[in-house]
Amino acid sequence: MVSNDPRQGRFETAARLLRAAAVATGVLAATAVVLPEPVDHTLAVVAVAVVALVPVVRLTWLGIRWIRRGDRTFAWIPFAILAVISVGLVVTAA
Amino acid sequence: MTVPDSPAALAALAAIAAALGTNGGIGGATLLVPALVALGMAPVDAAPLGLVAVGGSSLAAASRQLRNNLVHHRLGVSIELPASAGAVVGALLSVGLPDRLLAGVLAGAALVGAVSGLTRTGVRNQPEAAFSGDSGGEWPGTLGGSYELDGAAVPYHARRLAPGLVASSVAGLVAGLSGVGGGFLKTPTLSELMHVPVRVAAATTSFTLGITATAGLAVFAGQGRIDADPAAAVLVGALAGGALGAVVQGRISPPVARRVAASLLVLVAVVVALRAWW
Repeated sequence: MVSNDPRQGRFETAARLLRAAAVATGVLAATAVVLPEPVDHTLAVVAVAVVALVPVVRLTWLGIRWIRRGDRTFAWIPFAILAVISVGLVVTAA
Repeated sequence: MTVPDSPAALAALAAIAAALGTNGGIGGATLLVPALVALGMAPVDAAPLGLVAVGGSSLAAASRQLRNNLVHHRLGVSIELPASAGAVVGALLSVGLPDRLLAGVLAGAALVGAVSGLTRTGVRNQPEAAFSGDSGGEWPGTLGGSYELDGAAVPYHARRLAPGLVASSVAGLVAGLSGVGGGFLKTPTLSELMHVPVRVAAATTSFTLGITATAGLAVFAGQGRIDADPAAAVLVGALAGGALGAVVQGRISPPVARRVAASLLVLVAVVVALRAWW
């Protein structure tokens, strides 16, 4: 498909960052599997934390991006999801 | 050493499950969790590993799916809001639910998803010449967009948002309760109920499953149920399998993707039912 759409390639930076995060997580997790204790446990915790935090960063980025572009219909939703996740954390910790 | 105790076996199992799950748009843990339970792992331990696999396979597939303009972020976050709420509630309730009740819900939902995918043939959304200059992707401010099929732009617009939100909340609840991610409910919801093309539905589901996993893992972490060492082995497999599944996903036709997903759903239902009643 030949395209002159200015939106083409708009997620290239995000795609590169997500690929870097995936590679970093894979390296951390693989290293955690082969290294002895206690280093393996620390790396495993970091790898799991990265997986859990990437969606948080992605939601924040989407929300800010849509606010800047005036997309009021959808800009609040990523922050509402983050609020729901935070409530889960708080309820469990309480 | 049993399979759930061996890091290499855990990684291999997670890789196979993630490759199949990402390709069919049902997530990496829909097959992994029942398999782990069938191999002797307690459901309460398998659920957090399942959500780690879901997060890992979603992350692995994210880059390629973004470049292919297959993810509809606005639609994704719209259905994810009730799903995340359901996942948090499900994770909080998961400690005390009888296994057989959960297995019945899982098996029934998987069969419904499989039947809905198999009863429709052909491609619902067709290419339109008026959109030939569109590079694909979501249209800002709407739940519509287009995607590329055989070199042509195919426009679409999500329908029936309200029932889609209800179904998504159920998917989130199931994910929080069992750790299977809920993609086997979300993808049919998007493609069959909301008339989103199946490739867009699968990619958007993969995006949302990462968020669902985070919501559930936040609660599991607070409950002290995440064992990071086996989780690392599962992550290695999930990342490798998820990347492989995403590569295949961009190269198969929508009807083939639906049939693959439906076949996987039937398999999941049988495994879950056997586990509960055999």
